[in-house]
Amino acid sequence: MAKATKNKVNSQIASVHLTSKIWQTVVAMLGVTFGVSMYIFMNTFMNGVNSTQDDLAFSNLPHIRINNETDQNTYNPAIAMFGGNSLVNIRNRKSIQSENNIRNTAQVMSVLKHQKDISEMTPQLNVSVFFRSGAKKINGTVSGVEADTQDRMFGSAAKVIEGKWSELNYQKPSVILGFVLAQNLGVKVNDNVNILTSDGVSKNYTVAGLIETSVKDVDKSKAYMNIGTTRQLLGKNSDYSSDIMVNLVNRNETSRVKAALQPSLKYNIETWQDANQQLLAASQMRSIIAFAVSFTILLVAGFGIYNIMNMTINEKIREIAILKAMGFSGKDILSIFLMQASIIGLLGAVSGLILGVVLSTLINLVPFKIAGLTTLPIMYKTQDFVLAVLFGMLTTLLAGYLPARKASKIDPVAIIRG
Amino acid sequence: MNKSQERPKALEVSNLVKYFYDPSPFQVLKGVSFDVQKGEFLSIVGKSGSGKSTLLYVLSTMDTDYEGGVTINGQLLTGESQNRLSAFRNEHIGFVFQFHYLLPEFSALENVMIPAKRLGKMSSEEIEHNAYESLRLLDLEDQALKGANKLSGGQQQRVAIARALINKPSVIMGDEPTGNLDSKNSLAVQDIFRNLAHEFGQTIICVTHDNDFARNTDRTIEMSDGQIAGC
Repeated sequence: MAKATKNKVNSQIASVHLTSKIWQTVVAMLGVTFGVSMYIFMNTFMNGVNSTQDDLAFSNLPHIRINNETDQNTYNPAIAMFGGNSLVNIRNRKSIQSENNIRNTAQVMSVLKHQKDISEMTPQLNVSVFFRSGAKKINGTVSGVEADTQDRMFGSAAKVIEGKWSELNYQKPSVILGFVLAQNLGVKVNDNVNILTSDGVSKNYTVAGLIETSVKDVDKSKAYMNIGTTRQLLGKNSDYSSDIMVNLVNRNETSRVKAALQPSLKYNIETWQDANQQLLAASQMRSIIAFAVSFTILLVAGFGIYNIMNMTINEKIREIAILKAMGFSGKDILSIFLMQASIIGLLGAVSGLILGVVLSTLINLVPFKIAGLTTLPIMYKTQDFVLAVLFGMLTTLLAGYLPARKASKIDPVAIIRG
Repeated sequence: MNKSQERPKALEVSNLVKYFYDPSPFQVLKGVSFDVQKGEFLSIVGKSGSGKSTLLYVLSTMDTDYEGGVTINGQLLTGESQNRLSAFRNEHIGFVFQFHYLLPEFSALENVMIPAKRLGKMSSEEIEHNAYESLRLLDLEDQALKGANKLSGGQQQRVAIARALINKPSVIMGDEPTGNLDSKNSLAVQDIFRNLAHEFGQTIICVTHDNDFARNTDRTIEMSDGQIAGC
């Protein structure tokens, strides 16, 4: 009980100090409030931006791409024939066309089906072609796709602005063009377009629809066809494709899945991190900026608290001296002022949380109509709230500790004798 | 003399030596020794610079930078840790200074209660009751709930005295405790001190300039040049 009254008198003194100059307390608290709310706002906004950026990027980027683009041209028939110790001299050596494609699609897909981390996959047959309409000739790509799985992975159906994605369900001579490509060719839905492959095969197709992705380059040069139709165009069998696109349940698990798949597939496995390092770099740099800005604000708030606490202690130096004369120890004085700092920190952190959420919610209402967005993106994560409160409290305690320690070391004799 | 030897000693001082080093080394106490009996009302007088205040602050246990020994209630306090000393002050020593040093944001009553709450040996109700008793003793009962900064100078000084009494300390020390009081209030305070000493056996040690005050005490120690010039 004795200890309880002792602590009670310390907290009573602390609370009187806080309430007697309420504006000073509020100003100190507002410093923390702004720091914490900016931390939350900056981080939720950056999270929003990062996740939007990723959503945009993954609208045509698979988590893992499997293809046959290996650079392993090490096979030397002369060495194979005569052994490594022979001196071989071949003149006028020529390369033959190597097969860059996956010829056993069904087998590869059945291997993939056994991986439980994989949420979705779709084969594609990508071919470089010329689109021709009248005298116009435009270089581009045809993607032969399985309409259903392609839509599930990349949401393609929602991006078709004219016609229907489901036209590609059946093997018939129709094509969906990027809308800029169609404009450039001067064709509309139901018009015909001629496609010329690098092998010189030329065929006419009906424009079944137009697609608008948020990536201009794609809209300008890409067309989608049924994968069967595309195989037919190339004269290949139904087990033939150029890439297999794979999405994972968690897109950050790519390296583990790649390691698991590599032994059973002889093809090249490319993760999105390998293919798009700029994505990773950009999102990490945004996080660093967000942290730096909010940390600076908290630091400034810390200096504000330090100043106010220092001022209070200088004002009350005689009272501190008399408290010590009456038997309050240095520890008591330290706890009185640390209590004030932590109450300021706690109130500041809580009001900062509220202000941060309000700010983020308001920002989330600001219209922003670029690249498929309607408003500025915001994304809440629990860890940001926890860290904001933690940083806020830590700054206040640190800023309060230094003046409090000074107060605890006051020599009452020096003050009272003047 | 016989009689005083029978009474237990409240305070023993042996061979106190103290130097000031700032601005230049200066010996302010040159081997001071004396005893104070329990229940004695003692005054220390002397010119400015004679070392009387310095002596009081050494006795108060707040100043620990000295040579020699200070024993209060049979307990040697020289060399004790700051924490032990503050706990000891809290329980056994009451202070009254020339300036009141009240906490301005608290009421008179709360100011008086604070040392008792720090000691934590009684319930809040008992502390409040005792604080009212102390204030009544100093004729301040009706001012109890007023803010300390709303009282007159004399009232503030008397609240400070009430605060010094709250823990019923065995020794009460004053540095010019009546310096800010008019003669009527000063006399009242002297009567209270005399009463505390003689009725309740509390020891009172006051540094003063006031010769009338000194004449009113049981014994006067005169300091001169860091030494006791006369008792």
